[in-house]
Amino acid sequence: MFDGETACLIEMQSISKAFGSSRVLRDVTLRLRPGSVHALMGENGAGKSTLMKILAGVHRSDEGRILKDGNPLHLPSPREALAAGISTVFQELSLLPNLTIAENMFLGREPLLRGGGLDRKRMRAETVAALAELDLRLDPDQLVSTLTIAERQFVEIAHGIKADASVLILDEPTAALNAADVEVLNRSIRRLRAEGRAIVYISHRMDEIFSICDEVTVLKDGQYVGTRAIRDVTPDGLIAMMVGRELSDLFPARAASLGKPVLELSGFRTTPKARAFDLTLHQGEILGLAGLEGQGQQRIMRALIGRHTPAGGTLRLHGQALKFPSAARGIRAMARLGLGFVPEDRKEEGLMLGLSVAANLVIGLHAEKPAFTPARSLKAVVQRMTDALHIKTASPTTPVASLSGGNQQKVLLGRYLAREVKVLVIEEPTRGVDIGAKSEIYGLLRDFAQAGGAVLVTSRETVELIGLCDRLAVVHGDTVMTELPANQATEHSILAAALTVEGGAA
Amino acid sequence: MTQWFKSGFSARRSRQGLWGVPMVIAVVLAVVLAFGTDQFATRENLFNLIAQAMPLLIAAIGQLFVILVGGLDLSVGSVISFSTAILSLDGPAAVLIPAVFVLAGLVGLINGLVITRLNVHPIIATLAMQYILLGITRILRPVSGGTVPDIVIAAVQGSMLGVPLPLFWGLIAAGLAAKVLYGSRFGLHLFGIGGGVAAGMEEAARTYGIRVGRNIVLAYVACALFAALAGAFLAGRIVSGDPNVGLLFELDAITAAAIGGTQLSGGVGSLHGTVLGAIVLALLANGMNLANVSPFVQTAIKGGLLLAIVGLQSRKKMGL
Repeated sequence: MFDGETACLIEMQSISKAFGSSRVLRDVTLRLRPGSVHALMGENGAGKSTLMKILAGVHRSDEGRILKDGNPLHLPSPREALAAGISTVFQELSLLPNLTIAENMFLGREPLLRGGGLDRKRMRAETVAALAELDLRLDPDQLVSTLTIAERQFVEIAHGIKADASVLILDEPTAALNAADVEVLNRSIRRLRAEGRAIVYISHRMDEIFSICDEVTVLKDGQYVGTRAIRDVTPDGLIAMMVGRELSDLFPARAASLGKPVLELSGFRTTPKARAFDLTLHQGEILGLAGLEGQGQQRIMRALIGRHTPAGGTLRLHGQALKFPSAARGIRAMARLGLGFVPEDRKEEGLMLGLSVAANLVIGLHAEKPAFTPARSLKAVVQRMTDALHIKTASPTTPVASLSGGNQQKVLLGRYLAREVKVLVIEEPTRGVDIGAKSEIYGLLRDFAQAGGAVLVTSRETVELIGLCDRLAVVHGDTVMTELPANQATEHSILAAALTVEGGAA
Repeated sequence: MTQWFKSGFSARRSRQGLWGVPMVIAVVLAVVLAFGTDQFATRENLFNLIAQAMPLLIAAIGQLFVILVGGLDLSVGSVISFSTAILSLDGPAAVLIPAVFVLAGLVGLINGLVITRLNVHPIIATLAMQYILLGITRILRPVSGGTVPDIVIAAVQGSMLGVPLPLFWGLIAAGLAAKVLYGSRFGLHLFGIGGGVAAGMEEAARTYGIRVGRNIVLAYVACALFAALAGAFLAGRIVSGDPNVGLLFELDAITAAAIGGTQLSGGVGSLHGTVLGAIVLALLANGMNLANVSPFVQTAIKGGLLLAIVGLQSRKKMGL
């Protein structure tokens, strides 16, 4: 078992797994050493979470085997994995909201009194102690539903750090944590490492990987790419392993020429106090609303579909003057005029997660028809959109909730592309989407513009706006401060444009 | 203590549901009836009230177990009728009484297995069981008749030191349920499973290593056992077997639990709330009878009350 260094605590050999016809893991190997933190990296959908769910007993592998200290493990359910000392902090929060912190901490392994009742006193005391290790002071009798997301995350972590667990899996434990919280977590991880436990650490944040991990294994498209010692790799090298291509290829070429105006705002006042501005979107153009977060970009976009009522101004679409749409029928009315709106929160506002990929794609087409028109399945459209957008799905009837973030976003885009809209208004086109899918989405938006469409986009990631757009309108205080050609803009120039004028006015 | 008391009215920080509402209603009803009528606060009427309330109270406690895991049991009424029919058969009490509980346990086991193993919706699974059991009951006892073991009659109709024995049935049922729901891993797991179902995370409880299927089956077994207890009580009261005596009991039991603040989506509810819900229904029926309100109007009022109380406690307010 020795290979120069320490013996493996856990060895996952040649693991393969398929869900239906989509193979998510092919011949993947993972070796965990005691007293080390092992990063598991890869794009969303690369199979990291599935691999960890197999180790946690949630899923069963189709092929391959798992060894612990050289002995094969059989993990038909999470019970057996817990019994084998494998403890997991899952990516999606899995605390039960109607139980208290202490109850959640001990669920499934409650200490009992001699009479068979729950030893609540011990549960409370040990919960307080476990939370204190993470610098957390919370009432153990508080219901989890009353906690903030960050507090829940910590409780989840505290729950995972069990005294008898020799393997701890942390699946994106820092998603809801700020820098100070992350440092607290890192301290705990170092302590666990010193105690000789094996820790799997999944994260997209490079700085965390390099500050806490000892080794890294990279997966790509469900396949094993390689394992390296952290001291032997660089962030760029890791990204290259994950993506398999250079970063400069991420953004498509900008528009060569622009057509006539398609969307014109003039004398637009977002709110009664805001300064009026004009904004024009041309055919073939991708126009970004840049600036600091929450300065009114969203209000401007949502005024176009009736989700925000502007204080004044006129709207022209394809040269035709329109009233600003109402909240009740704005989205439908504008969609009929060829304007599609892709909201930021695709899970809450965009997709019907429980419905199939096919239904989510064609629902826009059905929405054009009277309510009692028989809804045809529109198989050809679904097939065309699935192919054109490279949507990775087991079948058109797969619930959209089971797709990766990037594929979900493509389905949402596909809904409007299927309607052949001329103008796309998109908030955060790549939120929660991995690098590979980001690049694909940029390409899709550019193709759409090149085919005669026009795109109005906002994003928190300024780099994304600079790379993707032709022109940027810098928004600050609910108004457009200035416009910049995107190929000359930098994060610094955008910030300067947003703040200097305001500074002068004040 | 005061904190706990407050939780009955603001459900934000508690998983017990709004049990304060039925408590207030029960107190108000009792006061109004005590001062508004001559007959209410008589020994005879109170004895009668307790005996009337008890089978519903016991059945509602059983129903609480399955509602907590996000289920429902529509076979409760049939189990009650079936139990009275078994007790009215010819045979020694030492055989008939255990037989009632063994058979009821079997019914619960089948309900639970059909729901968890065959993946049938609880309403359908227990509705089917309701029909099946009703049919068997009518074969055993097509019309009401037979006699019930003396010991059962004595346990229901007697009194001890001036306290009517039915009260002890309720105390024993509630005590048992309290021990199981609040003092055992099983009870905590029921809340956990139901909380997961209600929050759309069905798999959560399983990832904690809880045996979800087994616990759900046991909840249906518990529900059926409480229904059998309610059936035995009713048999002692009517002194015979009756294929129709349990009719619609399952719906009243659900009503009592819901009025008591138990959420049908699972994971939220309490024993004392459910008991209060049953008491409200009993007081309402007793009071309206005393006031000579027509039974048809009574039924309509019961429906209105259910709607009004449940309307107070939407899921969103719970923050769960």
